[in-house]
Amino acid sequence: MLFGMWDSVFFHLGPIPVDHLVVTEWAIIALVGIISFLATRKMQLIPTGLQNGFEAVILFTYDFFTQLMDEEHVAKKWAPLLTSFFLFILISNYSGLIPGAAHVEGFQPPTSNWNVTMTLAIITFFSVHIAGFSEHGGHYLHHFVSPSPLMLPLNLVEEVAHPLSLTVRLFGNIFGEEMVIAFLLFMAPFIIPTAIMGLSLLLGAIQAVVFTLLSASYIGAAAGKGH
Amino acid sequence: MDMLALGAGLAVSISGIGGGIGMGIAGGKAFEAIARQPEVGGDVRTLLFITLAFIETLTIYGLLIAFMLVSKIQ
Repeated sequence: MLFGMWDSVFFHLGPIPVDHLVVTEWAIIALVGIISFLATRKMQLIPTGLQNGFEAVILFTYDFFTQLMDEEHVAKKWAPLLTSFFLFILISNYSGLIPGAAHVEGFQPPTSNWNVTMTLAIITFFSVHIAGFSEHGGHYLHHFVSPSPLMLPLNLVEEVAHPLSLTVRLFGNIFGEEMVIAFLLFMAPFIIPTAIMGLSLLLGAIQAVVFTLLSASYIGAAAGKGH
Repeated sequence: MDMLALGAGLAVSISGIGGGIGMGIAGGKAFEAIARQPEVGGDVRTLLFITLAFIETLTIYGLLIAFMLVSKIQ
């Protein structure tokens, strides 16, 4: 059976089947949540330890998004969502490096399934339009018929192509990487896969950055002064 | 079946050629720009990442088609 096509439903939550991906996502959300809780439990004016690290991350991302989106209030509004995207994608990409991932049935990084990445992309899709409407009101619709009404179909296709390409990029990268590691583990179980795993440390981080960066630039383009 | 395997190989290799050439040109020009004007390094790097992501998507499309074809062999 092709890797990642397991049909392992653990239990049903009402009518909704809960499979291995959802459980892995819950674990990642719990991990991020617990670390964030521990970091902000006893906040001090002069930060130490974990709080210090988190403040550095938050400050860096705020500055980065402000620089990317031009307008500070838009960046402040959307930075929490984008930073959560980044942390979630980064940790789920790295969860493929835990021994047994892509090897044991029912354990795979969530981002190597296109259902998960499409969910993330759809969140981005709605965020883009919410950002556009909340910044420009009804005037935002103008952007679909610019520079001329002839461009309307092309603009609509573009709006659909953005989430689609976000989906396929993240899914294809992580899925491909996991496939390569699985093949290598099958052919040479020791030492050799570590080379690809070291590369996948880099790849996972880059894909998390790219997803966040593109989401930020779409939101920035919709909320910006351009139209 | 043989043709499926051939198609999978061609899908990933041809899309790899295009993406590789494109990324090489984009990356080379970006390094040139940073070498000429190191103070714009941050901006160029951000733009380079976005560009590389767009180019890479096309290669990934080919890879996905290859996976789909491989899963049909048997």
